Amino acid sequence: MRRTAALLLRHSVGGGAGGIPQALADALVCPLSKKPLRYCESSGSLVSDAVGVSFPIVDGIPCLVPKDGKLLDHDQEKAEDGSTKDSSYNQ
Amino acid sequence: MALRAAAGRLGSSSRRLLPVLLSPSSTNDHKSFLHSHATSFGYKHVPEEEKSKLVGNVFSSVASSYDVMNDLMSVGLHRLWKDRLISKLNPFPGMKHLDVAGGTGDVAFRVLDRINSVSHRAMQGTLTDIEEDTQIYVCDINSNMLNVGKKRASERGYKEGHRLSWIQGDAEALSFEDGSMDGYTIAFGIRNVTHIEKALSEAYRVLKRGGRFLCLELSHVDVPLFKEIYDVYSFSVIPAMGELVAGDRQSYQYLVESIRRFPNQEKFSQMIKDAGFEGIEYENLVGGVVAIHSGVKL
Repeated sequence: MRRTAALLLRHSVGGGAGGIPQALADALVCPLSKKPLRYCESSGSLVSDAVGVSFPIVDGIPCLVPKDGKLLDHDQEKAEDGSTKDSSYNQ
Repeated sequence: MALRAAAGRLGSSSRRLLPVLLSPSSTNDHKSFLHSHATSFGYKHVPEEEKSKLVGNVFSSVASSYDVMNDLMSVGLHRLWKDRLISKLNPFPGMKHLDVAGGTGDVAFRVLDRINSVSHRAMQGTLTDIEEDTQIYVCDINSNMLNVGKKRASERGYKEGHRLSWIQGDAEALSFEDGSMDGYTIAFGIRNVTHIEKALSEAYRVLKRGGRFLCLELSHVDVPLFKEIYDVYSFSVIPAMGELVAGDRQSYQYLVESIRRFPNQEKFSQMIKDAGFEGIEYENLVGGVVAIHSGVKL
């Protein structure tokens, strides 16, 4: 019973968090603050509220290299446009 | 099997425990070495901030021929070395394992295969439950390497995202919680990190108590005569092979130089100890061409 429930939970949100499994998104933390990340639907990225940085997910691979994080504008939920990184977000 | 035994016997395969007492001079020695590692790109001297970009360029360039080149340069031996690494790791079903700088997946696939084989030999029912919890994370700073790894994974039939996850990240700033991993491996990667001590302390941070650190890396050969042969091979043959096969002599020149610049077995053991690990051991393979260092977080 427990196994079935766990399996269902895993696979049903497999499409969530922009192409990465929910379980993975839950296991990851901000590389700078080591605090939990939040998945932002509109930008398909992982947001670290602790430091105000968003990290993209490219081709199903979360990019959590500190220097590739984008600083978020105050009050802005979405990631910045016109950045150096040319990435297509997995929606 | 015979080949594996032969490879192990070739040269001197030795195990040493780090001496508890170290003279002050050797401690200072390795601290200045650390700085020089951060600013060395092979034999070139580079600004610290530049190093990771230069290394990044190397791996973006070699990613597509990485596996072929490994086979050629090591005459296939790298496969046995990685087998040995996994043997020492002794993976178990349900473990959370992090393979750093593991871009193309060699180590991760072996860990997964080993766990699957252990599970199949065990009983059904209760063990399969735990098996579902197995998670292997492959972290690499280079997206090209990860993409090659992902492709290989699907070619081999590993189910997408099932127990294998691919993350782009920096060994010096890992995106995992404290005490979340049962095992940490880094194979042929730590040499390329700018600040080795940061990578080691991050490894320590993410491991659970009782978690094990294993590092497979090209190391220093002391065996007389063999050392000379190895040097000739490294500096004459390898870069030429790199040019022929990968179309990139410079990257392979960097490779052989970076091996010489990397701390030797004893120095590296001390660095691992400084990061907090205990029970540090190392095993030389092929007379020290590679060494597997291991430690435990207690």
